[in-house]
Amino acid sequence: MKRTYNKTMLGLFALSFTCVLTSSLVWGMGSRVPAVGTTAEDFRLVDLDGKSQSLSQYRGKVVLVNFWATWCKPCTTEMPAMQATYDKLRENGFVVLAVNELEDDAKVREHIKQHGHTFPVLMDRDNKVANQFGVFGLPVSVFIDEKGVVREYIKGGLLTEQVILDTVARIQKPEMMKAASLQ
Amino acid sequence: MKMKRSTLPFAIGLIAALCVWPVVRTAEAACGSVTCFVVIGSQQQVPQAGLLTFNTIYNYTPMRLLDGTNGVIPAIDQANRRLILDHHQEVRTITQTVNFDLNYGITDRLGIQVTIPYLWRTHKHIDGLGEEGENGAGELVPFRDNGIGDMTITAKYNVLPTLRSMIVAGFGVQVPTGSTSARDAAGELMESPTQLGRGNVGLIGSVYQTYELIPHRLNQFFYGSYRHTFRNNDGYQFGDEYNLNLGANGIPLERAPWLILTGQFSWRYLVHDNISASLERSRVPSDGGFPGETILLDPAILDRRVPNTGSTYFAFSPGFQVSLDGLIDSPLTRMTSVYFYSQIPIMRDSNNNLAQGISYIFGVTRSFQLLKS
Repeated sequence: MKRTYNKTMLGLFALSFTCVLTSSLVWGMGSRVPAVGTTAEDFRLVDLDGKSQSLSQYRGKVVLVNFWATWCKPCTTEMPAMQATYDKLRENGFVVLAVNELEDDAKVREHIKQHGHTFPVLMDRDNKVANQFGVFGLPVSVFIDEKGVVREYIKGGLLTEQVILDTVARIQKPEMMKAASLQ
Repeated sequence: MKMKRSTLPFAIGLIAALCVWPVVRTAEAACGSVTCFVVIGSQQQVPQAGLLTFNTIYNYTPMRLLDGTNGVIPAIDQANRRLILDHHQEVRTITQTVNFDLNYGITDRLGIQVTIPYLWRTHKHIDGLGEEGENGAGELVPFRDNGIGDMTITAKYNVLPTLRSMIVAGFGVQVPTGSTSARDAAGELMESPTQLGRGNVGLIGSVYQTYELIPHRLNQFFYGSYRHTFRNNDGYQFGDEYNLNLGANGIPLERAPWLILTGQFSWRYLVHDNISASLERSRVPSDGGFPGETILLDPAILDRRVPNTGSTYFAFSPGFQVSLDGLIDSPLTRMTSVYFYSQIPIMRDSNNNLAQGISYIFGVTRSFQLLKS
């Protein structure tokens, strides 16, 4: 009986040890959602034309970084709203960076052409930027202000034209007020 | 692109080969009774925050004797704390189970799962070898029972959340909600292993891992679990159970992303059961007075390993899943899929007991977004 008990305890100990060890090893590998109010980590990706683009080059503008894929229905559903607001606000310091996850250039290009999207589409081929922004489900939208600070982090296909307009207005308002007070 | 072209046929072949992986959860003892278990993915993963995934899984698991075995095994008389060697001869067990499985994402990384099984079990064995019947051949005794089995409550944590991969660690508690007092056709208390419940708490540790080999086209998965059940009030303790599963899911046709082929290999190892009982054996012709009362070998109530329990099982399970959401545009099919698997044994060591035959699993999964994340 004692031997059986010892075996059981040994088994339980081995299991616990393996779980703790595995958890510790992979803990650092998982993606982390950036906290609102912190500076977004810079990234550099190639767009569909093969040009390299970075987040930092849009400093001074409100940036909507949208993580998406063509197979993701909620992603493609919210893209027309992104296009509409991009068309309306691009002259007023707003840019959309649509970061595609793990798909072929040809497939993405076809989708973009078919839907007439004109915002920059960046290719996250090795999933690095998604991990950097704690993305493990699509779509995810991150609003980053003119100073490069994360202001909104939205999971799921919740973007509408009104949501984007309101969010951008909310982010730009303090800057506009500040500019007005200086004048 | 070149690489992808050459990889795809191989990938599809691999998927077809690996097509479903059921794991088998067994409660085998003097009289064997196994419930087939399949790794479905939506059960093992942590759903996103606020998402409730409801699985209803039916499985049909027959058990018969293997060629070259006679199925003569000990009898468990837990009511009188007796272990009687060579007293039963197994014929057949069929277990049908419907698992109601609720899986809820408390946060994006932490989930809770509740599994409620409902079982129908029929079992046939010859009871009283050397004691009853003509020339001590025993008597055929059928057994039938149905009801709720042992519920399992599992806490799961996604320790590696990325778009391509996931590692989920789980810790479950099996609650003894299943009956342990069913009687056979002769009115005798049925043996512990054939009862619907195990009679005491069980602890289950598990790890689920998945990685997208070809994003949104082919993913590999692994599942491993360990169960320990404590001794019940009848003095019976089910042996520890180890499960390992390796498989893959794939979308064979890009134009039909609603069809997923899946395959899995599963390996299960069951440690011998144990009972606190005295030891007896059936009478044989050379004993004299045959057929007749059993012969007492050791009257002391001790923890004894139950012979003919414990088994090793290796199987391959092909299957497919159809996402109704992608096939039919209707509120009724939203976030809903159906699946079918069969589990084909490759290697079985059943220890002269009943062995699991080809099993079938059918299920429906539907998710409900209860809270917006």
